[in-house]
Amino acid sequence: MNPTQPAPAQPTADTVLADVTGMLRTVLAEYGDDDALIGMSTTFNRDLELESIDLVTLAGLLEERYGQRVNLAEFLAGMEFDEIIELTVGRLVEHVVWSLKTTQAG
Amino acid sequence: MVDAGGVRLHVQRTGPAAGRVPHATVVLVHGLLTDSLASYYFTVAPGFAAAGLDVVMYDLRGHGRSERPPRGYTLDHNIDDLEALLDRLAVTGPVHLVGNSYGGTIAFGFAARHPERTATLTLIESEPATAAWAAKLGGILDRVMTQLAHNEPDALAWIIAHRGHNTARLAKGAARLARETTLGRDIPASRVLTEEQIRAVHCPVLGVYGGDSDLADLVPLKEALLTDYRAVVLPGHEHSVLVEAPAAVGGHILDLIRAGAGVG
Repeated sequence: MNPTQPAPAQPTADTVLADVTGMLRTVLAEYGDDDALIGMSTTFNRDLELESIDLVTLAGLLEERYGQRVNLAEFLAGMEFDEIIELTVGRLVEHVVWSLKTTQAG
Repeated sequence: MVDAGGVRLHVQRTGPAAGRVPHATVVLVHGLLTDSLASYYFTVAPGFAAAGLDVVMYDLRGHGRSERPPRGYTLDHNIDDLEALLDRLAVTGPVHLVGNSYGGTIAFGFAARHPERTATLTLIESEPATAAWAAKLGGILDRVMTQLAHNEPDALAWIIAHRGHNTARLAKGAARLARETTLGRDIPASRVLTEEQIRAVHCPVLGVYGGDSDLADLVPLKEALLTDYRAVVLPGHEHSVLVEAPAAVGGHILDLIRAGAGVG
C-alpha cells in the first residue's frame, strides 16, 4: 500500500508524465534503449516498441509509485485490443491523474 | 520470481480487494513462443480477481521474464515446472486450471498426473498431448526454425509487409527463443498421453474455440473421450480468441468455476 516515495499531493499531468517517463526509461534500459523520445503523443507499441510483457513491468512500477490506486491491468482490461495497440503515454498519464484525484476525493 | 525446482519463473498473483478471502485459486498457463502471462494479466485476470478468486499467472521457462535455460523444453519439463511452482506457492488444494493453446496441453498433462489437485480445466484453443498433436507442433516448429531462425531478414520483411510491425516483433522474439534453446526439438519429442490417460481426466473440462480455427474440429473427439466436457465456439475468431474476446472467454470460465463451487 505504501509507495516508496510519497506521491505529490496534487498530481498534475506534468508531474505524472515525469514519473511515467522515468518508469519507461527503466523498462527501455533492458533493451539498451537510452535515448527514446517520450512525450504525451508517444505510443507504447509503435514508437517505443514495447511488448505486452513490458507493460506488466510498467504496471508493477506504477503500483510501487502510487499504490493500488493505479491499476494498469484493470485500465487495459477495459479496452479493445486495437485500443491497446494505439495506447499513448498521454492517455495513461490522464488515467493516472484521474485515478489519483478520484481516490483522494473518495 | 519464484524458484521452481532449478528454474526461476516470473509469477504475478492477484486477488480480491483487501479484506476479502479468495474462495478458490485459478492458475493461468499461456502458450508457446510469442505468448506470455501478459495475455491473461491485461484480459481476464482483473475480472477473476474481482470475482473473488486467487489468480496465479506465470511465464513458462524461456518465455516472458522467466529464466531461459538452453535445454529442457519437453512437455514434461513444463508440467514439472507447474507442479514445483504450486508447491513453492503452497497452493495444495484443487485448482482451476486454464490453458491457452500449448498452455492447455500443459494444464491437461497436469490434470492427468494429479486428478486430486485439479478442480476444473479450461482449454482455450487447445488439446491434450497426442501423437497427432506432437506431429502438428513438430511441423509448426520446423517452419519457425527453417523460415525464421535461419533466414530471419527475409522472413521478417515478409511478415512486416503482410502482418505489420507488431507481429514481426513477436516473430523476432520467437526466432530468438527457437535459436537459443532446444525447444524446437524438445516439444515434438515430448512423451504424449495414452487414450486411457486422457479418459482418466474426470473433472469438468471446458473447451473454448474460435469459430474460424481448425481446432474446433476436435470437439467431437474430446466429447467421445472425456466424461464431463463442454465446448464453446466463439464465431468470428481464430486462434487468438483469448486476447480478442476476453469478456466472453472470461465469462465462460467463471461460469464453469462457479458451477463447480456449487454457487450457481
